[in-house]
Amino acid sequence: MRHDLPVPYRTALKPYGRALVELARTRPEIVCLTGDLTRQCEIDVFQEAFPDRFIHCGMSEANMVGVAGALARSGFTPFLHTFGVFATRRPLDQIVNAVAYPHLPVRIVGFMPGISSPGGPSHQAIEDVALMRALPGMTVIDVADATQTRQVVTAIADIPGPVYLRLKRGEIPVIFPDDHPFSLEHAQVVMTGGDDAVVVAAGMMVAPALAAADMLIRSGVGASVVNVPVIKPLDTATVLRAAQAARVVVTAENHSVIGGLGSAVAEALAEAGLGRPLRRIGLADTFAEGAASAAYLFTKYGLTTQHIIETAWAALALPGPPPRAPDLATNAGEYAPV
Amino acid sequence: MIAHKLIDDSRESAAPAERAERAGQNEPTEPTEPTDRMESREPSDHIDWRMDSFFTPGPDSRLASLPDGVINLTASIPQLQRLATAIRLRAVRMVAPAGLGYLGQALSAAEQYATVYGAALRPGTDRIICSPAHYVIAAYAAAAETGLLDEACLAGYGRDGAALEAIGTERSPVPDYTCGSLGQGLSAAAGFALADRLLGRPEARTFAFLSDGELQEGQVWEAALFAGHQRLSSLTVLLDANNSQVDGPVDSITTIEPVAAKWQAFGWQATDLDGHDLAALTHALAACTGADRPQVLICRTSTRQGLTCLPPDADGHFIKLPAELAAAAEAELTAELARYAA
Repeated sequence: MRHDLPVPYRTALKPYGRALVELARTRPEIVCLTGDLTRQCEIDVFQEAFPDRFIHCGMSEANMVGVAGALARSGFTPFLHTFGVFATRRPLDQIVNAVAYPHLPVRIVGFMPGISSPGGPSHQAIEDVALMRALPGMTVIDVADATQTRQVVTAIADIPGPVYLRLKRGEIPVIFPDDHPFSLEHAQVVMTGGDDAVVVAAGMMVAPALAAADMLIRSGVGASVVNVPVIKPLDTATVLRAAQAARVVVTAENHSVIGGLGSAVAEALAEAGLGRPLRRIGLADTFAEGAASAAYLFTKYGLTTQHIIETAWAALALPGPPPRAPDLATNAGEYAPV
Repeated sequence: MIAHKLIDDSRESAAPAERAERAGQNEPTEPTEPTDRMESREPSDHIDWRMDSFFTPGPDSRLASLPDGVINLTASIPQLQRLATAIRLRAVRMVAPAGLGYLGQALSAAEQYATVYGAALRPGTDRIICSPAHYVIAAYAAAAETGLLDEACLAGYGRDGAALEAIGTERSPVPDYTCGSLGQGLSAAAGFALADRLLGRPEARTFAFLSDGELQEGQVWEAALFAGHQRLSSLTVLLDANNSQVDGPVDSITTIEPVAAKWQAFGWQATDLDGHDLAALTHALAACTGADRPQVLICRTSTRQGLTCLPPDADGHFIKLPAELAAAAEAELTAELARYAA
């Protein structure tokens, strides 16, 4: 399962929007709500295909959540779209009262996760996973690529309760083949190459986790990668099995290290009484400022392939300098992790 | 649609100052002090047809021409007066064991709940939203009076382990939606009205009870914008303007007037009326039939209405009702109720 990373990855456009349209063809109960970010959330294709089921809510996220709750109570399955910050941080009380507490099948889809936006702290969803994870009954998902984006849309169709789906915006890498298995119940061991370090990653950090593990393995260090698309409910069995086999555990998330994947893994390890050195890669309790590009921010705040390599290297107390991550040039339409 | 277009053209030529002047011609009537002595008067209906010019129906408004559910009022004024009194009496009995509670809300809104539950609501067809969840006491009382709720469960209202919580929750019976976090009900109401449109249920209506203090929450105005744009004409708001909130009279905390003009500017049909005047209330509610936009009835009320035994400085948000006062209130309302039975 290693040494064949198709890096740089090819990319897909609008895998989410197209998948939602396909699903909606056979699901008349699906309605699509937008908070003035239609094209950015890939649902312009839904508007074209099903204008009668497409609802403009404008820049009124609190109202949009309330409307979605009532539509769900009336038998619809609303998919609600905006950027992650405006989908979670802004209407939190409305999500609690109108969606989570009544346990309604509203799908809250927040685009542009973490520091993938150079738009400053106002546009960076760095605590959305933490906020949504804290709500009773909320399923929280952060997928890694276009294949899983397509798969997850169908997978969440029939979940009886609410879902928060966190999606990258723009060109989406294709990391996994079409037939790659996907399950809401199971985290996936997507690379196995020894038992020194396991990197547990979600969303946009899966690609750098794979690249980092690949480099560690090439350098003679045993490494594996667990992809956790569903952060809540966490597949603790898979995470604990991988952690049990490894000497150190490194988590990697495009999110604050507080309250997200790293916290969830820490809780699982502690509650199982499984003692492993744990390093959490993510935003170290800081906002992210000063950039024109996401790559700059990933580097500045330590969310890179190199940072994962160095973190594992240090946690394992290995001698000498850690290996360097390859600097991958990309052409238009290609994607490589920073 | 053609009318919109024509008016659209004229709007372009109207200077801002001229538009402001036009708007001035349509100011709502002076808010009136609600008193028992108040005479019934014709409710005024301030529809500014020029508002049409500001609305371009969105692509999702294509179904807006569906006919509305007709509001047929199925009870007489004396019947509703009796029901309003019975709601007050039941509310007194629910609050009395604790010695304090959300009695003022039931006193100010009794006529509104009586009118909707007693004369307009078609269970199974229409929906009811009780936006401020502490008003749910009035919904419980009305539902018990109209046979929608087993009156036996009222006895446990607000107590540990009871089915009826004082601030409504998801497990509260009676309203289709209520929420203790204020200002959220209108969004739910708009969602229900939109769902009825999408489901092809033109006969269904959504009645949403709101309160004036809630108007300080921004979400109310997000929802008002949305419902106005979508022309959710099956949606009727009964706004209990009792001028009461936790810190004191609403108008001493934040100026929310002119209330009617605000709703009109958001694309609503707004009617300002004495909320204790059942003739005005029923007339205004019936007049909502056939509207081409959502409607709001701004019901001017008092949190002490119907109980002369309450002290003039009673805290309308959370009335204290010690045993002696509770007994006086019980006696006063029981006597009042007997008048209707006679």
